[in-house]
Amino acid sequence: MAAQTDLLDLIDWSSVECLNQQPSHPVSNALKQGYREDDGLFLESDTDDQLLIHVAFAQAVKLQGIVIKSVDTEGRAPRRIKLFTNRASLGFSEAADFTAVQEFELSEDDVKEGKLQQLKYVKFQAVNVLSIFIESSQGDEETTRVHKIAIFGNSGEKMNVSEIKKQGEES
Amino acid sequence: MEATVVCVDNSEWTRSGDYAPTRFQSQADAVNLLAGAKTEANAENTVGVLTMAGKNPKVLVTPTPDLGRILNSMQELRIEGECNFASSMLIAQLALKHRQNKNQRQRIVLFVGSPITVDKAKFVRIAKKLKKNNVAVDIVSFGSEEENAEKLEAFLEAVNSGDNSHLVTVPAGTVLSDSLFGSPVFQQEGGGGYGAAEGEEGGAQREGYEFGVDPNLDPELAMALRVSLEEERARQVASGGAPGGPDAATQGQDAAGAAAARDTAGAALPAGDPMEDDALLQEALAMSMQEEQAAAAAAPLSVLADAAAAETTTAAAPEAALPEDMDMDGMDEDLRAALQMSMQEVQPGEARQGAGGASEKPAGTSEDLNDPAYLSSVLGSLPGVDVNDPSVQAALNSSQQQRSNASDTDKANSDKEGKK
Repeated sequence: MAAQTDLLDLIDWSSVECLNQQPSHPVSNALKQGYREDDGLFLESDTDDQLLIHVAFAQAVKLQGIVIKSVDTEGRAPRRIKLFTNRASLGFSEAADFTAVQEFELSEDDVKEGKLQQLKYVKFQAVNVLSIFIESSQGDEETTRVHKIAIFGNSGEKMNVSEIKKQGEES
Repeated sequence: MEATVVCVDNSEWTRSGDYAPTRFQSQADAVNLLAGAKTEANAENTVGVLTMAGKNPKVLVTPTPDLGRILNSMQELRIEGECNFASSMLIAQLALKHRQNKNQRQRIVLFVGSPITVDKAKFVRIAKKLKKNNVAVDIVSFGSEEENAEKLEAFLEAVNSGDNSHLVTVPAGTVLSDSLFGSPVFQQEGGGGYGAAEGEEGGAQREGYEFGVDPNLDPELAMALRVSLEEERARQVASGGAPGGPDAATQGQDAAGAAAARDTAGAALPAGDPMEDDALLQEALAMSMQEEQAAAAAAPLSVLADAAAAETTTAAAPEAALPEDMDMDGMDEDLRAALQMSMQEVQPGEARQGAGGASEKPAGTSEDLNDPAYLSSVLGSLPGVDVNDPSVQAALNSSQQQRSNASDTDKANSDKEGKK
């Protein structure tokens, strides 16, 4: 198994979408480098405590682990997480009803220290879009706050167009 | 970048004629304009149309960048039944959710021209659901506004996130599309302060161009119009004392020169001394001449002289009886008087001949003004003007040159004529 790396560089930022985020606390606060290390910046949900984040990658990737961190102490840290792959038009109702590729619950300590959650590697091959559905918060509060999301894995085979060489040019 | 679904109210209520010609027709116009503005603002914007009344709400066009399809679908609309707002909103949201380009923001434009039958709690719940799914809603209330106001306001409050949604109420008797032009519905995201300005204000200005010409389409024409307008204003200011008089006064007259003359005359007014006015006016004239010549403008001195002559002609009649203690409170009056007096000085005797002598004047005046000796004597008599000043000298020399050049050209021309 290839070494796992942070897939930050492979995220296609223009296609990242987060439903139910507050405009003043957007998803970039939790995903982007620099922002996500800052505990003063966070992603917050708007109408209720659910969040649905579609993270698109520039190429198909293999995922191995995910970190979801929230330093919130008032029960607004995320608890129940569902992960879906390659379902770009997933909405809240489908996310709640459908069987996830993987789902897990985070304990308060897990989110506080941002513990790496191992993913079932075989189920996360060739992921173009990862949908992270945060179903509920620790204390079932009105909103959910997320300070950091980091996705680990490897990029699999990459084709670099510039390395393609013309064949038989010399002959 | 935005995907929009326009929810059209095609219920029987829209047959009402309180918005000319009918609610429905004015709504259709507004939708057409809105679709045009949206698709024009960004090539990747898409607009869809959904009808809310009839057996079921129906998506006539899924969001498309093709304006033709939208206009076409509006043509085929039928008025029937009553609106089902609740399911319309949900269907619109579904249409937006499955947009091709996920980068587009989602927006619903809701036209409400009939009473809303859904109860408020349910309506607000729908609004929350839309907000949760990042859908912005613009509401246009144009008929039954009063009875709908409460529900629509509650809806807006629930759906509004970061001021991305708006409610526009258009009272009866107005033109719906005109009222919408200036509203936030037409000012896309960015106009309100977030994202890039994708300005649809172009539509709003369509009727408001300064000269009835779109400056973006023909900048040169617009520029020419503006310049000519400014020149005309300068002329009116310069000849303010003689309204309706012949406007020869400004032909080719340098606007800056005129302004200088006005300023100087104006500054001298409180003194009220005719001699001082006179001197200052001379100075102003000299200055305007300098300016013209220093700029190496092609305008020959004779033009200025012409102008002066015409000015005299205009003022000739009242001038004769002009007493010094005349009521001199208006600046233009004073300016005119000063000009007249200066003319008396410049053309001794001639000015008094009045209009009759006008034809002879230009020659005589230009002679006078072109005479360097005369000019320098005039300039020398002015306070604050040094004849030996290099710039004054330069001006005088150039006037000389210009004159000789002019005569050369004349000669050449007459030679040519002769050869013919």
